Amino acid sequence: MLFHPISIILLLLTFMVQEFIPGLEIAQFATLFLPAVFFFSASVAAPFSMMLLLAFITGFLWDARHLPGVLESLSGAEDVFGTGADVELGAGSHPLPFGLSIVLFGMLGTLLQGIRPLFKRGRLELPVLMVGLAVFVWLISQYLIITFLRGSLQFPAGVWSKMITDSLLAMLAAPLIFLLLYSLARLSSYEIKYEGLRYRFDGR
Amino acid sequence: MKKLNILALLIFVAGLVAVFTFDTATTRQIQSRVLSLLSPFIHSSAAMEQAAESAVAPQINPVEMKRENDEQRVQLERLRIIQQKYNQIIEENAKLRQLIEFKQSAPFKMTAAKVIRRSSTTWWNSLIIDKGSLDGIGTDSPVITSVGLVGKTSTLAPHMAKVILLTDEMCRVSAKIEGTLEQGILGGERAALEVRPELHLRFLHRNSNINAGAGVYSSGEGGVFPADLLLGRVKRFENREISGEAVIEPAVDFSTLDYVFVIEMQAAEPTPEPAATPARAKP
Repeated sequence: MLFHPISIILLLLTFMVQEFIPGLEIAQFATLFLPAVFFFSASVAAPFSMMLLLAFITGFLWDARHLPGVLESLSGAEDVFGTGADVELGAGSHPLPFGLSIVLFGMLGTLLQGIRPLFKRGRLELPVLMVGLAVFVWLISQYLIITFLRGSLQFPAGVWSKMITDSLLAMLAAPLIFLLLYSLARLSSYEIKYEGLRYRFDGR
Repeated sequence: MKKLNILALLIFVAGLVAVFTFDTATTRQIQSRVLSLLSPFIHSSAAMEQAAESAVAPQINPVEMKRENDEQRVQLERLRIIQQKYNQIIEENAKLRQLIEFKQSAPFKMTAAKVIRRSSTTWWNSLIIDKGSLDGIGTDSPVITSVGLVGKTSTLAPHMAKVILLTDEMCRVSAKIEGTLEQGILGGERAALEVRPELHLRFLHRNSNINAGAGVYSSGEGGVFPADLLLGRVKRFENREISGEAVIEPAVDFSTLDYVFVIEMQAAEPTPEPAATPARAKP
């Protein structure tokens, strides 16, 4: 079964390609999050166990590459009077925990498994829409967790424009990734698309 | 649910628990390794971006270039004279300090670095520079330009570092306002990913008399950022429920950064080297 190892290699490749994708300045540096889009697309095509493995790899590498550096422990620099002795080292800024993306990708991938039967029948409309929605939910979940950790609920207009642009870009790329996965499945004799009981004439 | 799926789920959860129990050093090491693994691609993408920009950029006029070169030579000569005078003053200052046994503040070393590219991530304001741990740069080191503070270093690779910009909510600086006794904590707005977002100086006294246009400088209280680095200028002052808050326009234009300096604080020595700071000092 070549389909699964090749999907993992492709997923790793998306992290390299991601470095070449620029951000859109007009939409708060919104960009196409290729590894995430590839994962969401592959999670519709792959079985549950494979989806979990892909979620783990995607989340782990995403956090390792994109999460801001984890803060050092503050070595007892308690600054209750707010002169800045611990604040500059990051006290109170609460970064997202390393590994949170694995949880988010795992949960969203499980949800996307629900539309697998439709995808198997060759219908791409809903899966494409769901990939965009998954990107939106992934981003808003991250944002809400940051808000929960740091307090003060705020939703500036830029946040929405960024999330919507990211999701639209994901929906634009998703059909191409689905077609890539279909071709890969055909080449590796992996059955994504269920074609029913068809009579095959072998020429004899 | 199939047995295989249950087994896969159990392994997934076990892996997740293992990741959540990583300590800071392990996490930093993983982040550093991943950044160094991807560094050739980051360099290539930056080179491609530059090539594309230069292809689109208008042709350089040789006459204009010569004129600019001449102007810069004059400027260089002027700066050399200023530096000479500055070194003399530093020497004189050191002698006077010795006479009165004044405690010498720690000198700092600066490393020039080229900005490779601005990172496009989910909610973080960061950029990547071409100097890393093997170039003598440490984590949480201040990054400045001749105009003012840019941010601080975060994840380090051997020859690459991620810089969290001053506009990110995670980069906070203990700051003071020029001409007043007001001190507060300066920080960016959450998910403000515009090119030049506003900053907020919080925890000021209510009804403070703060003029628009006043300079905001680092106070040096936190120990991470040296004192008297220009951060920005006051746009307006607002009274909040408990304290006052000033809205600050950042001094640095983060969209046009080419070269930056990374500051490394050093242990105080008895005879300090004259160190030139490119950041504009408080008048």
